[in-house]
Amino acid sequence: MSLKHMIGALAFFMLTTIPAAAISMEPMATIKAPVDAVIAILNDPQYKVAGTKTAQRDEIWKVVYPMFDFDEISKRTVARYWSDFNDSEKAAFTDVFAQFLGNTYIDKIQGEYHNEQIVYLGQDFYSDTYAEVKTQIVRETLSTPVNYRMIKGGEGRWMVYDIIVEGVSLVKNYRTQFASILSKDKPAQLIQRLNEKLTEQNKRLAENG
Amino acid sequence: MAMKPRRSFLVVVVVVLMGSLAWADLPATASADASPGDDAAATADSVPFDPFDNPSENRSGEKDLMMQVVADPFAGLNRAMFVFNDKLYFWVLKPVASGYRVVVPTPVRVSVKDFFFNLLSPVRFVNCIFQGKWKSAEGEFCRFMVNTTAGCLGLYNVVRDKPQFNPPEEDFGQTLGYWNVDNGFFIVWPLFGPSTLRDTVGSLGDWALNPVSFMQLVNVDAGQLTSTTTNVVAYSVRVVNDTSFRIGDYETLKNASLDPYEAFRNAYIQNRLSKIAQ
Repeated sequence: MSLKHMIGALAFFMLTTIPAAAISMEPMATIKAPVDAVIAILNDPQYKVAGTKTAQRDEIWKVVYPMFDFDEISKRTVARYWSDFNDSEKAAFTDVFAQFLGNTYIDKIQGEYHNEQIVYLGQDFYSDTYAEVKTQIVRETLSTPVNYRMIKGGEGRWMVYDIIVEGVSLVKNYRTQFASILSKDKPAQLIQRLNEKLTEQNKRLAENG
Repeated sequence: MAMKPRRSFLVVVVVVLMGSLAWADLPATASADASPGDDAAATADSVPFDPFDNPSENRSGEKDLMMQVVADPFAGLNRAMFVFNDKLYFWVLKPVASGYRVVVPTPVRVSVKDFFFNLLSPVRFVNCIFQGKWKSAEGEFCRFMVNTTAGCLGLYNVVRDKPQFNPPEEDFGQTLGYWNVDNGFFIVWPLFGPSTLRDTVGSLGDWALNPVSFMQLVNVDAGQLTSTTTNVVAYSVRVVNDTSFRIGDYETLKNASLDPYEAFRNAYIQNRLSKIAQ
């Protein structure tokens, strides 16, 4: 258990009065703690000041990062081409893809968070090691189903390996895109394209403060 | 009146599409292998195990993987249409919907949304019946009755928080999918966006079932109400109003992708598949 995770859990404790929810290592609690912490950061008045967007993004990233199993996510998106990657390519891909996803979605919630409600609908277990947490994001009158598919890692910690938004799996969506690139290009070229996207993204984010 | 030619045109379109739907069944899976970006070549052993992918209640069962493979024989044309719709969104729809969101207060926008939603209840109701989803049909029917009366012709959705009155939304494309009609192939329509051959036929069916077009089809002349202008205006208002709730979503998915066309194509297929499985 990392320090970041403990901070997330601690923040969750301080923000809610529901006892014991964070202690239990149930999949739903593993989602709820960081999600609540992110909402707290989004509502934190210290980040309402101009020029604090980057600091806020870093803070959110620290809370959210441990939720996800990026090795698993990378392996699943690249799927049958994963064996074409050598060890350093695997590491490079995982790193750039994680940052790319983080940037994209954190920027989205930073830009558009308006007190959406998160409704926790329940959790399904396929086995001791696979679970799915079902939630809904309610914005104005629109509710968007978001499901987190989780796997229990070696340390006995539940981690997300796929997110399903309105029935669309993030992993499968990237899988088709990567497959069409990897059917023509080498792994190094895909990594480079992701790096270019990331640089472009970082530049834009820096300009927006 | 001008009603006749439009009707016969519709009939021709439906017949042609129905015909090609049967024909499209075979080449759909065969030609999919030619498109490298697809999950096509991904046989069961090369796709990472995900236990939640083949839920037992899914009627299509192990066909699931194959159903995700939708041929795209007109990829070139589709990509061009995708670019056209993309420009249309950024140059017209987004500015209009953003301005509309500023000018029109949220409660009004919600009422407009609820009004159209209620108006289209019969379409969803009939499609529940077509799929034998009696509980959902009952929910649709009750909500329609309550909202049309107590909800002032649908301007208010008074049962929004009651899950039993809010079943999953059904349409004719889903009905066809439920009865194992194949997607055929992928199409991007100008203005209307992504679809498949099956869902296009479905949309035509839903169009025929919407109360206003239905009146037109059975030659009820309700004056202004059934005029083409009214229809176009109503459709435009609905699209702008719906978009005003979703500004930013399209941009995010687009920015998050390396190949936007491929990303939206796959998202469309996955989304439809999940709705049919519901």
